[in-house]
Amino acid sequence: MSMDLSVPETWRVKGPLYRLEAARCKTCGRIHYPPMPACPYCGSRDLERVTLPSEGVLESYSVVYAVPEGSRHKAPVLLGLVRLGRVRVVAEITDADPSELRTGMEVEAVLRRIRSDREAGIIRYGVMFRPKLKGGSRGG
Amino acid sequence: MEGRPEEKTGIHGWGVYVPRYRLPMSEIARVWGWAPEQASGLGMKEKAVAGPDEDSVTMGYEAARNALRRASIEASRVGAVFFGTESKPYAVKPSATIIAEALGITPATMASDLEFACRAASEGLRALIGMVASGLIEYGLVVGSDTAQANPGDVLEFTASSGAVAYIIGPREGAVAHFEGSYTYVTDTPDFWRRAHQPYPLHGEGFTGEPAYFHHIENAVKGLLAELGLKPSDFDYAVFHQPNGKFPLRIARRLGIPKEKVLPGLVTPVIGNTYNASALLGLARVLDIAKPGDRILVAPFGSGAGSDAYSIVVTDAIEERRGLAPLFDDYLERRKEIDYATYAKFRGILNVIK
Amino acid sequence: MEVYITGVGLTKVGRHFDLSLRELAARAAFEALDSARIDKVDAVVVASTLSYREAGQFDLAGHLAGALGLKGAQTLAMEAGDASGLAAVEAACSLIRAGSAERVLVVGVDKLTDYVSSRVYRDLQRLYEAEVQALYDIGHAGVAGLLARLYMERYGVGRDTLSYWPAMDHSHAKHNPYAMLPFAIDPAAVPRALKVAEPLTLLDSFPLGDGAAALVLESEPHGDARAKVVLATSAAGYPSFTMNEDPLAPESVGEVAARLREVTGIAPANVDVIELGDTFTSIGVILAESLGLSKPGRAAVDAMEGRFTLGGDGPVVNPSGGLKARGHPVGATGVYMVGELALQLSGEYPGLRVDGARRGLAVMASGDGSSAHLVLVEGVA
Repeated sequence: MSMDLSVPETWRVKGPLYRLEAARCKTCGRIHYPPMPACPYCGSRDLERVTLPSEGVLESYSVVYAVPEGSRHKAPVLLGLVRLGRVRVVAEITDADPSELRTGMEVEAVLRRIRSDREAGIIRYGVMFRPKLKGGSRGG
Repeated sequence: MEGRPEEKTGIHGWGVYVPRYRLPMSEIARVWGWAPEQASGLGMKEKAVAGPDEDSVTMGYEAARNALRRASIEASRVGAVFFGTESKPYAVKPSATIIAEALGITPATMASDLEFACRAASEGLRALIGMVASGLIEYGLVVGSDTAQANPGDVLEFTASSGAVAYIIGPREGAVAHFEGSYTYVTDTPDFWRRAHQPYPLHGEGFTGEPAYFHHIENAVKGLLAELGLKPSDFDYAVFHQPNGKFPLRIARRLGIPKEKVLPGLVTPVIGNTYNASALLGLARVLDIAKPGDRILVAPFGSGAGSDAYSIVVTDAIEERRGLAPLFDDYLERRKEIDYATYAKFRGILNVIK
Repeated sequence: MEVYITGVGLTKVGRHFDLSLRELAARAAFEALDSARIDKVDAVVVASTLSYREAGQFDLAGHLAGALGLKGAQTLAMEAGDASGLAAVEAACSLIRAGSAERVLVVGVDKLTDYVSSRVYRDLQRLYEAEVQALYDIGHAGVAGLLARLYMERYGVGRDTLSYWPAMDHSHAKHNPYAMLPFAIDPAAVPRALKVAEPLTLLDSFPLGDGAAALVLESEPHGDARAKVVLATSAAGYPSFTMNEDPLAPESVGEVAARLREVTGIAPANVDVIELGDTFTSIGVILAESLGLSKPGRAAVDAMEGRFTLGGDGPVVNPSGGLKARGHPVGATGVYMVGELALQLSGEYPGLRVDGARRGLAVMASGDGSSAHLVLVEGVA
């Protein structure tokens, strides 16, 4: 019996992974994700937790064919550089064909299985982004 | 207000989720050598298939998020989360807590997963009505979500599909629809089961019909009508559990309800049987189009076996909430057709070394 | 205080299935010691990024000192992602300048072929922030891929133009006996190659290879001195490429370039030879532009016009073939760079020779761009 994914870590990162919890620096006003103990822009430790918007814009993307072990079932992996307000997030894009992706397109956060530890270990859920659903403007 | 406990409660938000991928019936028939007419005999066109990064939790989460948006309440006011499924990602470890945590409902809440084949979510709904009516909780969330399994090559494979639905139940005041009454009818009837550690269910084929589906739904509905003093013609819509496209129309005919009142909530022909979502997803489709004052009959069913019947009346509040989240039809239009090989890969039917 | 490079040992980068991590390290280390004509050092600094994952060895520096017969030496293990090798050179220089050691052996070693490629990609993902970002299946090339698209769209640089960067690397590598891929490629072949992380292909990406490189650094020059280290510095703690205000202009690289100017009065563009840590084509052009070798959006065009090759009006960039063609045995790469530059300045380099070169510069960013490392060497002739 062995486990590849840390159980306590899975538990610790729920905020950023489930709810896009980020940190806002009270000194320089900038927001970073995932939250760090000090601001990566100005070094201040005066931070507060904020939640990023769940909708944003795809600034860039890559269609990854050289996939890491354990991800062949979803190859090619679509990797996005997503702008959420003033913050950029790197995360997988889901529910899209490579040919559908365009820089500048609107995307929205969804909760997906990011990793699962083989057959019996822990499942790590977290945010991915998908092309904004038509009718999704109804969402807030 | 004295009276039935149901009358003190209502639906504050509803939300659905249907995955993007669709498997046409012709693909299943092609691969497994079924007669071409097999699927049309079940009233089926195609079924929704969860993607490789989806499961009943991720689908249930999205339906619940949509319901919460429509309810327009603080997540922390939800005092109970019931998750009905027969495709839990963890056999032991609640799925309800994952959804509750991701939505910000935790920690001051009840949360548990319920199992009663396709009817667990409906039992959760009825439990919430009681809990809200008693004042134990202010609001409750019930989620029905399944990535339904079927033994590849079994006739069940035509219908077993993926989807989710969720409701926020709360006080009658401010509800988009309020309950008038509810009735449950259960017996020990072994029409369909999945033994522990087995990946796929088995079923009694024709035995799933008369002694199971029809007997239980008919008695639940008749029980409800008797208690409320209503007759079938009092309802504007009727939604039944929909294991295929034919059974709901047949039970409606038997109860004297015209087809036109059933079709708006009959979603299985285009997305398949979403098990715990099934009838409740049909109800969501009806709420997407219903007008204030409409009375809806809903009767979910679960193998093993049991049925619940509810009478629901739509209120004026529905119009302003409808637009707060995507409709069933928005998800239906988001459609990517796949072949059987892709379906097999997505649903883990292929044997691979991990 | 200057630090002299008196010994250099380089192994050909490749698939050394027949050599263990320590055997490969020993080849480079013994060659460096022999070329410095010494058999004892005060300290051994080992650069390795993947060895714990790929070879399963803790205290690699301690174990290597024993395996190399260097009883009694102080040891130090350096891991700084892609830039471990340059970090090791910096640490070794610090030991000498602090008076803690007079003679230091720097060994950089990594093996990327002992396990299947998909596992190595998973391990290389750990160059990115591990708790959240690298939890996604981004692969080793995904971020470089989205930076490439950003670059192409912002500057209107076509895929075909970008291809001249790896073609430049390969045209240099064909002369390098240590290169893993010592052959020229047609730029037109780059977009048609196997896609790795669209828009990047296999011909934009470093190959998975094993390698070891070693240097002997000394406080006192003697007859075998090849070059001297004038500046070895690094700047960490900046936002990563993707977090930075401008993902195509990492602050970390700008900072080490500014330090070079402050300390030596030399701008990167005025150095004769530069080895750049171009893990991928996009990272290569970003580094070149952040160092001021090209105007923003122009590095691939400059490469196409021959600016960075012999006879061009810029410094010669990557005479070794760069990471693309010499190879990138991750932790060893920075040591290769400094070793190659030292041989270049002493006129001993067996590859593409830059006659009359006086100064050589090695620059790498860590995998995610949050830190940058720089080493400037000068000839001693």
